[in-house]
Amino acid sequence: MTRFFSTNTSIFIFAFPALFIFTAFVVYPLFPEIVISFQKHNGFSSQGFVGFKNYIEIFSSNSFWKANTNTFIIVLLSTAAGLPISLLLAFLLDSQANGTRRYFKAAGMLPAILSVTVIAQMWMAIYEPQWGLLNSLLRAIGLESLSQEWLTDRGIVIFSVAVAFLWQYIGLNTLLFYTGLKSIPKTYYEAALMDGAGPVKSALMITIPLLQEVIKFVLVISILGSMGMFAHVEVMTGGGPGYFSRTIVYELYYKAFMSSEFGVGSAVAVIYVLQCILITLVLNRFVAREKIEF
Amino acid sequence: MRKNWKTGTALIMSLLLLTACGNSGNTPASEQTNTAPGKEKEVVNQQPVKLKLLTISSDQARQTIMKEYIKANLANELPGIEIEYEETSDVGAKMKVYNASGELPDVFWSGADYATAIINAGNQLNLEQSITDSGFINKFAVKEALKYKDGIYALSSGADAYFTPKIFYHKDIFQANNIEIPTTYDELVQASEKLLEAGIQPIAAPGKGGWAPAFFMIQNMIQIEDPAVAQQLVENKIDFTHPVVKNGLDRVVKLAEMGAFGPGAANVDYGPAKEAFTQNKAAMYMMFSWELADLEANVPDVGIFDWPSAGEKYTPGSAIQFWGSPLAGYAVSAKSKNVEAAVKLAQYLAEQDAKYFTDTGSLVTLDVGATSTPAPLMQANIDAYNEANIKIPSLTVMMDPKTSTEYSNFGSLLMTGDYTSDDFIKDFNDLWLANTYFE
Repeated sequence: MTRFFSTNTSIFIFAFPALFIFTAFVVYPLFPEIVISFQKHNGFSSQGFVGFKNYIEIFSSNSFWKANTNTFIIVLLSTAAGLPISLLLAFLLDSQANGTRRYFKAAGMLPAILSVTVIAQMWMAIYEPQWGLLNSLLRAIGLESLSQEWLTDRGIVIFSVAVAFLWQYIGLNTLLFYTGLKSIPKTYYEAALMDGAGPVKSALMITIPLLQEVIKFVLVISILGSMGMFAHVEVMTGGGPGYFSRTIVYELYYKAFMSSEFGVGSAVAVIYVLQCILITLVLNRFVAREKIEF
Repeated sequence: MRKNWKTGTALIMSLLLLTACGNSGNTPASEQTNTAPGKEKEVVNQQPVKLKLLTISSDQARQTIMKEYIKANLANELPGIEIEYEETSDVGAKMKVYNASGELPDVFWSGADYATAIINAGNQLNLEQSITDSGFINKFAVKEALKYKDGIYALSSGADAYFTPKIFYHKDIFQANNIEIPTTYDELVQASEKLLEAGIQPIAAPGKGGWAPAFFMIQNMIQIEDPAVAQQLVENKIDFTHPVVKNGLDRVVKLAEMGAFGPGAANVDYGPAKEAFTQNKAAMYMMFSWELADLEANVPDVGIFDWPSAGEKYTPGSAIQFWGSPLAGYAVSAKSKNVEAAVKLAQYLAEQDAKYFTDTGSLVTLDVGATSTPAPLMQANIDAYNEANIKIPSLTVMMDPKTSTEYSNFGSLLMTGDYTSDDFIKDFNDLWLANTYFE
């Protein structure tokens, strides 16, 4: 029986459904997408091939570069700020008593399972310039000069949206790190303690190296999740004011579905796919190359 | 090697299966069926004709029409027809999917922003012959308003043609702050300053996505100085570099800079803008007259006034912008297997729209034999419409989808107060010059 399950035929049979679904919904749509990216297409029909015109239009468009910059900012915030905060929260969670830990585990998970629309609406209320929580708080503590039009100021709108996005998933990342923490044998910490290592040194020399598989996983889902950010932007700002809070995926949607330029939208999609592939390759090349077993 | 072969075979099989299931949806217009009504096969049995309807449910009015008129009256008025309903607020997006699949609904809501693409693909039926033969065309008071290029592609109640942008105001707030109805733009600015000093938001208008600037504000700020210039712009005879057009843009910027639209105005949606007015947080509300019936019924101190003047060539009310497009309304798929029944359904739907608007006191161009006595404000609005010497179509319906979305996009920036008319002209004028609507 065991021999049957390890034959190539049985592996093929069991892998086929997943392979078919992956091909149907991931690989196959890429081909017409690439073809359309070289066409003038209004979503209803093609008006012929235009060569690289769509790509030239994209690369000379301010909105595309702004969308790229915004996406980069969100990726940077979710990795450089989001991940360390999540890890810190995981340490804190680990040090709590059972009851408190259970409460914060549930509380941390809640935003991640709520609809993006609910979260976005909540943050819109927080950011509302006249009666919103944030400006009201600033006014109450005498910092009225810091109050802003958080979602219409061109300079800060993307940071406002990014904070809402980070907040939604920080609890989930914390739980992932916490799960990783629990899988590290206690004996390592006991040995380190006997050798005179304090909590910080233990964290730096034991926890973080042994968490690298989890860190890699969280890094990948954070980066690719941030790269694909769309719904928060759509609900909170509609990409505005102007194009100042668009992300790369929003730019794709805008061009294809709002502007009815399917050719240009498809070209953005192709560039986006290439960016994601490149990032994944870089992550695989430089992060957690050797699997650590313990 | 063997494993690779199997994986390769699986991939090829998957691709072949998907390719076989696909449909490009790009059938040339010349190859498409465009059956003339009456020439199709007669339905010989008594089975009801089943039709698919994709219609718009963007606001409360449209939902009421669907529930209380279309669905409620169907069995009595069209007994031989069964409808599979589909409602959405974004018909354009749905139509793209249907068009790609090659299976269009028999009847669908046609919008000016996407109808040209469907017509050019040969998928939207020219209804002129059918409604002329049946005499339905004679029910329209303004038949010319139905025409688009060589035919009639959508049937509507005609209520759209009577919708004009208005400035609603709270009489009580004006009275409490000693503010007279502004008759000039400068008076509007002064009234706004006075209201701001009193801690009241002067004007509510939906700025998110550039809704108000694109649909009426820019155009009206131009035509209050010189309606002829607005008319020329709508007819594609001038561009946005024209000095009067620039002045109009500056007027929007000036109000935004002084905070007349309230903080964060560029991100205020349609609903919250209306709510700011109905809850007395804003003294004025810039919006189309389609909100008039609701506001008159629910806001006790509401009043309306015409756009104030910004030059000698315009006096308040002498020129108006009207909504509506010949491409907005119920359309029939040229590929429908039941064209005759589908045309009847489109006629029925337009009539139900007309009944709703008539019942709520609005004017329509489609005569459905119903009359109602308009409420006082509604009557004042109708009188103002009839008295206006110059009636200018909406600029935004004279744009292709790309131009229209970018117009809204840059229009939203005007509401931020830190985006100038020069910025707008620099960003948008080339797009306007490349507008394909007039081709």
